[in-house]
Amino acid sequence: MARRFLVIHGPNLNMLGKREVGIYGGKSIERINDEVAAEAATLEVEIEFFQSNSEGELVGAVQGCRQRTDGIVLNAGAYTHYSIALRDAIAAAEVPTVEVHISNIYKRESFRHTSVIAPVCIGQICGLGSLGYVLALRALLEERLDPWLP
Amino acid sequence: MAALAAEAGGGAAAKKRFLVISGPNLNLLGSRKTSIYGRGSLDDIHEGLRARSAKLGVEVECEQHNSEGRIIDSLQGAPGRFDGVIINAGALAHYSYALRSAIGAMLLPCLEVFISNVHAREEFRHQSVIAAVCVGVIGGFGKTSYLLALDALANLTKD
Repeated sequence: MARRFLVIHGPNLNMLGKREVGIYGGKSIERINDEVAAEAATLEVEIEFFQSNSEGELVGAVQGCRQRTDGIVLNAGAYTHYSIALRDAIAAAEVPTVEVHISNIYKRESFRHTSVIAPVCIGQICGLGSLGYVLALRALLEERLDPWLP
Repeated sequence: MAALAAEAGGGAAAKKRFLVISGPNLNLLGSRKTSIYGRGSLDDIHEGLRARSAKLGVEVECEQHNSEGRIIDSLQGAPGRFDGVIINAGALAHYSYALRSAIGAMLLPCLEVFISNVHAREEFRHQSVIAAVCVGVIGGFGKTSYLLALDALANLTKD
């Protein structure tokens, strides 16, 4: 059975391509999802997408991955910086999760330099635009084969 | 395309070249704290990068320095010789403003990588003083962090 992955987009990412394109680029969320879906097809894995502005729905989506999904690609948007609830959900789901940001959060306001979810994710990719999602999917696939991880 | 390049006397288009720099203590990979850094060696990473570069049609040159000054020398010498840089600055990431200035001055795309998930470790490792002058950061995926950074640079510098 093909391995299954979920891409989760958090608050305001439905506005991609329409807001602050200087920071987030001109690509819409649909176009980004299409790029990730194409990569998933190449890698022969199943992929689903979810976006919500609601913290509770994101918590629900992460919880729903437990024992059902092989990995999560998560751009939690601004919740990254303060949602302990999302952090707890990731830890509880016990599903390898990669944190993705479109922009380089370290070039921006200092409140964006802290991620409360990073310690419970396997790793972080930021600053690479839509390519970050594609690389996150590759990371999830290569992770199992990587003798580097304990 | 190839014919055009040949007519112009340039032969095939020049391959993109990337410099990969690993900082202090990364020469010890595979022999220290293997629960954090894994059991593979830095040579294994460099071999993996060379294999990946062949697939991507790019070239890599890999260096390791324990000395902060040597890393700065390398970064200063990179423009004109390389099209991008991948740096794992090790512990220097957290405090070397000299490295930050060197990366900023280089005007080449630079990606920061970490083997371990620095955010799951001691608090002093949560801050990188070089991240803001890099295009982006990839960390936590072991050897794969370097490989993904190479994928990213190849993609970012595509003509």
